[in-house]
Amino acid sequence: MATANDDEILEGFLCPICKADLKSASQLTNHFESLHQEDQDVLKSLKDIFGKAKTIILNNDNADLKETFARALKFNYQDYYDEEQVIGVSRSSTDYFKGVRFSRLERYATETNKLLIRLDKLICNMPSDPHQRKIHEQDAVPWLDGSSVNLCPNCAKPFHLTRRQHHCRLCGSILCHDCSVFLDIEVAKTIINPSAPKPVSNPELKLTEKNGLRLCEHCYNLIKLRKQVQETRNTKTELVTAYEEMRSLMEQAKPAVAMYEKMCQSLFDGETTYNMSDVNAMRGRIGKLAEGIDLLSKQIVSFPAEPGTRQARLQNAIRQAAGHYIKEDLLSLRKLPTEAQIEEVRRQRYERAEKQIQMERERMERERQRREGAPGAAPPPASTPAGAQHDDDDDNPLLEQMNIIRGYIKEARQELRFEEVAILEANLKELKKEYKLQKLSSRS
Amino acid sequence: MNVIQAVKMYITKMTEESGPGMKVILMDKETTSIVSMVYSQSEILQKEVYLFERIDSHAKWDNMKHMKCIVFIRPTSENIALLSRELRDPKYGVYFIYFSNVVSKADIKTLAECDEEEAVREVQEVFADYLAVDRHLFSFNIVGCLQGRVWNQQHLQRVSQGLLALLLSLKRRACVRYEAASEPCARLAERVRDLLRREAVLIDNSIPYNGELPPTQLLIIDRRNDPVTPLLSQWTYQAMVHELLTINNNRVSLAHVPDVPKDFREVVLSSEQDDFYAKNLYSNFGEIGQTIKSLMEEFQTKAKSNQKVESISDMKNFVEQYPLFKKMSGTVTKHVTVVGELSACVGRHKLLEVSELEQEIVCQSDHSKHLQRLKALLADGALRDSDAARLASLYALRYEKHAGQGVGAALELLRARGAADGAPLAALEYGGAHARHGDLFGLQDAVKITNRLFKGLNGVENIYTQHTPPLKDTIEDLLRGKLREAQYPTLGGDDGRRPTHVVVFVVGGATYEESLCVHQINKANPGAKVVLGGTTIHNSASFFEEIKSAMQGVHRTHTKHIRNV
Repeated sequence: MATANDDEILEGFLCPICKADLKSASQLTNHFESLHQEDQDVLKSLKDIFGKAKTIILNNDNADLKETFARALKFNYQDYYDEEQVIGVSRSSTDYFKGVRFSRLERYATETNKLLIRLDKLICNMPSDPHQRKIHEQDAVPWLDGSSVNLCPNCAKPFHLTRRQHHCRLCGSILCHDCSVFLDIEVAKTIINPSAPKPVSNPELKLTEKNGLRLCEHCYNLIKLRKQVQETRNTKTELVTAYEEMRSLMEQAKPAVAMYEKMCQSLFDGETTYNMSDVNAMRGRIGKLAEGIDLLSKQIVSFPAEPGTRQARLQNAIRQAAGHYIKEDLLSLRKLPTEAQIEEVRRQRYERAEKQIQMERERMERERQRREGAPGAAPPPASTPAGAQHDDDDDNPLLEQMNIIRGYIKEARQELRFEEVAILEANLKELKKEYKLQKLSSRS
Repeated sequence: MNVIQAVKMYITKMTEESGPGMKVILMDKETTSIVSMVYSQSEILQKEVYLFERIDSHAKWDNMKHMKCIVFIRPTSENIALLSRELRDPKYGVYFIYFSNVVSKADIKTLAECDEEEAVREVQEVFADYLAVDRHLFSFNIVGCLQGRVWNQQHLQRVSQGLLALLLSLKRRACVRYEAASEPCARLAERVRDLLRREAVLIDNSIPYNGELPPTQLLIIDRRNDPVTPLLSQWTYQAMVHELLTINNNRVSLAHVPDVPKDFREVVLSSEQDDFYAKNLYSNFGEIGQTIKSLMEEFQTKAKSNQKVESISDMKNFVEQYPLFKKMSGTVTKHVTVVGELSACVGRHKLLEVSELEQEIVCQSDHSKHLQRLKALLADGALRDSDAARLASLYALRYEKHAGQGVGAALELLRARGAADGAPLAALEYGGAHARHGDLFGLQDAVKITNRLFKGLNGVENIYTQHTPPLKDTIEDLLRGKLREAQYPTLGGDDGRRPTHVVVFVVGGATYEESLCVHQINKANPGAKVVLGGTTIHNSASFFEEIKSAMQGVHRTHTKHIRNV
């Protein structure tokens, strides 16, 4: 809606007479009252418009309750804490910590790695025959010569007929049966190869020489430690999966809510970028996300956990947080305007613009008359009404492009990509403007 | 200089540095309070922190390797030992460790040697080592910081570390001033200066030096110079709740109130989470009654209009408003319950009369009239013993040196009603004329004497709020650069410039009346930023505790002339 002589579209609270941008409705009315008193009837219409728009935009019937509380409960701290605050001092000792840890763990690490290589040798192709197995074991790890050892190095009890010498299969050292620990061979396999199927643990089954590896306590601890680290890295329980899924839904919900707010605002402003069905679709999508989050959090809370344990408390807390999130962030969306309200706002916006153009024309008219000094001269029509001209240029590339873009918009709408819709709508507007200009110039 | 904000930013940093995932926060007793002062549970749940554990709890552990653990503890030796045990056998997947103050290299080494499973990802010091009560108010919750008139060493250590942390959390370079007449203040000032020196490198590296601005002044003063303020009845909302119901870490217990709704056995009063409270913290009792009344009326008319559910659209409206409604009505009901209990207390125990006499004793001079009314009130059975003790203490402090003083008679009346009579004498020993250097009752200053006379003649605007804490004058003098260096020396020499940023710390505890006063100073001087702190925030009950501890084992030297027992 460009004015006849000016192809730049001005927006904002413009004074219809002098074109100054007054930034706010009240300022504009003030300005008008003081400077353009001769045009009081225009002022009246302006006031009417603002009044009506206000009641509609503020949704007054609902707003007053909120206002009551807001007045009573909201507090503005801006009064004296205007100073910007940055986060306080902190100091990291992580590097020092890791340095100490590294030098200590390195000793363990090399030893553990050595043990793991040996374990691998032992487990691979282990013969089932006890005698064969013994040879295989000694082949992988040489056993210490026990002929001169009379006491168990660990508990210092003498070896005799009933307390016989044994060897740790990983380091080959000597120990008695009481001091040895057994590592389940099935478990050992999973340590060597993490992708191997997990053994079904059966705590009743006593580990013996047959199904286990005889180890000294030292080696056993090192291996166990490695196993624990491995497990923490690879655990992904049902709970974690469900939780991650829930969080990803929440991540999706955040931009959706922001978009919804933007669309809503645009509707209230009387813009035509989005239409009602778009916003409703968006609302629906947020509802779906909320439903998904709700469902997952219910699933999390129903995972088996003994009441009173941390696990149970954790699950409850997650459910509670999800509930709170849904209530506060997803269901407290602003109410949509009704079609009639939108129509009204749009109509007013349109009227306002029309009026502005009208006044602009009159003003130009007056100016021209004054300049020409010939009051009787008949003014030529400023412009021919739109539509008087029929479209004879169907193959105009601009039109073609506009159609393409309309197609895109439709597509984007269906897939709820409203960011795109907004961009495309803007493009379309540009094109329309361009097209109009082209027409005007071709006519002249 | 917003202390709540400062602590909150640290906690937010902790929850963010650990990245996404389920989190547990492992704390000790003190850090639990520190966190709960600034974050509500629902707020921290939204940061994915789902469990709160105490490092010293002996509950059975279950394996929670899928969780990230944020450790936030004070760097005490017990905590280091407990954390070492935890790291040796970690229950959680990864650990992010934050100490609330400076931790020694040796302690970090001990921890690193325990971390065989390489579960630790971060080790940091953050300086959230104090309880942020209000934007401009902090505390350490220590009642009885002095024992037998000297510092309890443990508390001295805690408070000096806390003040160091405060300055670091606000990113302020500070110079330390203290009340020269007070030995404990001097000790604390030296300790803080030593700590600041020891951390000079940290300060130089992280707080940019700006020579154009005067340094922040940390002023350390002694409660003994003003024993009156904590003894007065209070009439602003926050102070009143603390005096009559006791606020403990933002929580107020209403369990003793008959017929209290189940949800309100314990209520949280936090200016950060409760807008109504934030707005009315400093409103006086009359105003707040009015506010609540009008709020209730409006609420009721609105509620009534909503009850009328005829058409579908009415119903829809009602449902859409319901959550808001419920939330708001919760807040309103909470404050109605609290204010109701306050007003019941006031009526039951004749607090208006008590307060009127208190204010007159402190702000006017008419000994015979005051003594007469004191005697009448002390004999009144409706008064609580604690209020009687307060009145007698105030009288004793005010007319200590008066020729015809009737402290002995007042003590006898206290005994007659079966109340303990030790409090007024202890108060005299603690904060009598010998212990004060300021002109607490305005007896020397000519202007003040005339003011006092006029007050007596013309009557005053509000008889219940005549008293202003002397702290107000001290701070205003400080901001004007008029605080005398002889009385309040600066460690390391005076800068000579008028400070804009001030931290005032009261050894022996601050009060909410003084907090209000600081709030007003901040409001009236847009350039100035004042933060108030105390070893604790007193009401009269805790103040009597403080006196008892400070005077423990000290012989009566200044009250020998008063007959008792």
